[in-house]
Amino acid sequence: MMKNLSEVVLLLLLLFFSPYAQGTRYSPPEKPALTRCRSPEKETFTCWWEPGSDGGLPTTYALYYRKENSDTVYECPDYHTAGENSCFFNKNDTSIWVNYNITVVATNALGSTFSDPVDIDVVYIVKPNSPEEVVVTVMEDKGWPFLRVSWEPPNKADTRSGWITLIYELRIRLDGEDDWEMHLAGQQKMFNIFSLRSGGTYHVQVRCKPDHGFWSEWSSTFNVKVPDYFHREKSTWILITVFCAFIFLILTWLLHMNSHRSLKHCILPPVPGPKIRGFDKQLLKSGKSEEIFSALVVSDFPPITSSNCEDFLVEYLEVYIPEEQELMLEESKDLHDNCLKSEGSTYDNDSGRGSCDSHTLLMDKCRRSKEEGRLTDQEESPIEAQRHQKKWNEGPLAYSHDDIVSPDTSSGRVKTWPSVFSPLPQYSSLNQMSSLEKVKQHCLSDSLFPPSSSSSYLTQPGHDNNKEALGASYWDKQHRSLHPQTQALWQIQAHSEVNISNVGRKQAPVDLQPLALRPTEYVEVQRINEEDMVLLQPVMSDCGAGCPRPRQEDDYSKVQGVNNDNMLLLQREVAGHEAERCPCEDQEMNGAMDSCVLSSIVTQKPTACIDTGTPARDDTALAVSGYVDTATIFTTY
Amino acid sequence: MNRVILLLSVMCVGVSSQPITENQRLFSIAVGRVQYLHLVAKKLFSDFENSLQLEDQRLLNKIASKEFCHSDNFLSPIDKHETQGSSVQKLLSVSYRLIESWEFFSRFLVASFAVRTQVTSKLSELKMGLLKLIEVRTHRHSLDLTNQNSCLTDHLTLQANQDGAGGFSESSVLQLTPYGNSELFACFKKDMHKVETYLTVAKCRLFPEANCTL
Repeated sequence: MMKNLSEVVLLLLLLFFSPYAQGTRYSPPEKPALTRCRSPEKETFTCWWEPGSDGGLPTTYALYYRKENSDTVYECPDYHTAGENSCFFNKNDTSIWVNYNITVVATNALGSTFSDPVDIDVVYIVKPNSPEEVVVTVMEDKGWPFLRVSWEPPNKADTRSGWITLIYELRIRLDGEDDWEMHLAGQQKMFNIFSLRSGGTYHVQVRCKPDHGFWSEWSSTFNVKVPDYFHREKSTWILITVFCAFIFLILTWLLHMNSHRSLKHCILPPVPGPKIRGFDKQLLKSGKSEEIFSALVVSDFPPITSSNCEDFLVEYLEVYIPEEQELMLEESKDLHDNCLKSEGSTYDNDSGRGSCDSHTLLMDKCRRSKEEGRLTDQEESPIEAQRHQKKWNEGPLAYSHDDIVSPDTSSGRVKTWPSVFSPLPQYSSLNQMSSLEKVKQHCLSDSLFPPSSSSSYLTQPGHDNNKEALGASYWDKQHRSLHPQTQALWQIQAHSEVNISNVGRKQAPVDLQPLALRPTEYVEVQRINEEDMVLLQPVMSDCGAGCPRPRQEDDYSKVQGVNNDNMLLLQREVAGHEAERCPCEDQEMNGAMDSCVLSSIVTQKPTACIDTGTPARDDTALAVSGYVDTATIFTTY
Repeated sequence: MNRVILLLSVMCVGVSSQPITENQRLFSIAVGRVQYLHLVAKKLFSDFENSLQLEDQRLLNKIASKEFCHSDNFLSPIDKHETQGSSVQKLLSVSYRLIESWEFFSRFLVASFAVRTQVTSKLSELKMGLLKLIEVRTHRHSLDLTNQNSCLTDHLTLQANQDGAGGFSESSVLQLTPYGNSELFACFKKDMHKVETYLTVAKCRLFPEANCTL
């Protein structure tokens, strides 16, 4: 008895306290949320909400709404028609162009929670049903099939009276593919689709949208199969192909039969043979080289009179140191001969005529039109450079480029060569050279620094500056006596490395030549350093009419005369004034430091006839002018 | 004699059919215009809503939207039933009044000068078009009824009196402006859609073959 009583009490206690044991489980309901409101035909609408947690207690939901301009709160008239957690507004309760303020309330034993209010206007929440009665038929247009899709607007949407305006869209997909092809149909209820694959099966769907609202769901898929129509077409193509092949065969046969030779000649003309006037082709066939070459040699070529040369070459004047007179004489002839020839040579054989109008320059004029050819030659210049180094000639090649006027500008850039003794116009910016003055050879003094520093020469791919000539050279001073008579000749040897990668630039390999040669007009020896290196610096020199005035104060552009030793006596002009005549030959013999050298030839002694290039020069110091204007001399003759 | 009557009636029908085609064309143009205006109104409204930076401003606008638009005074059908039940003439006259009122109020829209002037000019043109349509209908009716010459203006004033709004007085303007521009934009948008619906319904009723039952 007591046990039963205790059990009952225990049970009662459990029942009583169990709720409290889980007391936190009960709570007021969580805030519900209105998910969406939709109207299918702009006459009625439905709102759905999402309930929150009910707090463990049975919860009821109620929807209240308020129309604009009125404070009366109404409750949802119909909770069931549209399903659970929904409210359906029928026609009588629906007003268009009126703002509804809707709230959902969740209520349980412990309290009620209001959702966030939502404002809606029925006009803007229209989402119609899918179009109905979608029918797809296969029709034919001149043998090509196409699909005609037709549909009806959804049942409830009243488009007849114009209450709702719907626009339609359809999509079509080939069986087996994933991509749909969309077509906008506007307000029409029919659409044609062309360009079908024969024998394929298509899936078609349609949907609609009011002018201001949401797209409906896609209608159910309509499947249609397109009949095969390709066979007929195929047979036609086969016939055409066979016919064409047949005609082609006939033509080939005809051509072959008619004239084998003429056809062959028509299609593949024979390669023209050599046509040289006065040259017998049979000689080539015979294969004897001597005969060929002798046949090639024409008696009157090259022209001895060198009539062409004389057009350019006013005269040249050889100025050189007495010891090298013989050498010079030898050179002159070469130069002469090279006037018209030697287009292929990348450097000039000029021994350094001290004239701006030297034939080297003039040759350049001749050759200016043949730059192309030279370019190709110059691209092989490294090989030639090597070759030329062996020759005793000085045709220092200079690239004239506008930028390198002073050593400073050449930082990091190609250090071109300097020391050109003879202007080699054929280099690079020939096109820039409007006149001879442009053909300058700049001697970068820094490049003449001790070998350690001269290793800084570099060849850069001259992509940067088209106008720069690429090629680096450094001067190496070597003592080399090429000629027994010129023991102490300074020889400046320039190694030029032509940068082949720089296409389109003329790069003249700087050739080094023993400097016994005539100094070029464009280089001025600045000084000789301890290591017996000639430091050259560019000289702005006069060249005839077109050249700018020299920058130096002293203008050695005028030649006073020629002495009996074939030495050119320069006249120095200071700032336009006539200067004293430069008793060059006297000082030369002295070997004085400040003697002048009429030509740019560096004499055997570093101390002799070197233009210090120092600004402070007294008038009596004669500088080695890298440039001598021989034009004026010749005109006087 | 019978033949003469037949001929005359055929001629009359022919003559009267002429303005119907013209009417249809005018209707189509009017519907097109008002659709455009509705789109502009929608865009202005959404731009304005997006431009509101502060939450407070949004709340204020929500509160303000409880106020009614000036056009609420006009007795316009507010659901399909009423719209369907209204005559074409009524629909046209309501539309005309709405457009005329907005032609006045569009100057207060907060938008760029170009937009504002464009909207105002379009509203003026639409107003003219509606007037023409009303006139045509009135004259057509006047063929049957004798005393419809000055029907148009009388009709419109009657409408105004019925509405009791008395037009757009300054007070209504002042009523609107303190409540912010979103109120103005919302009303404009709503009214344009109203006119669009009325005109579409009227057009489909008059010319059912034109894009209504294709």
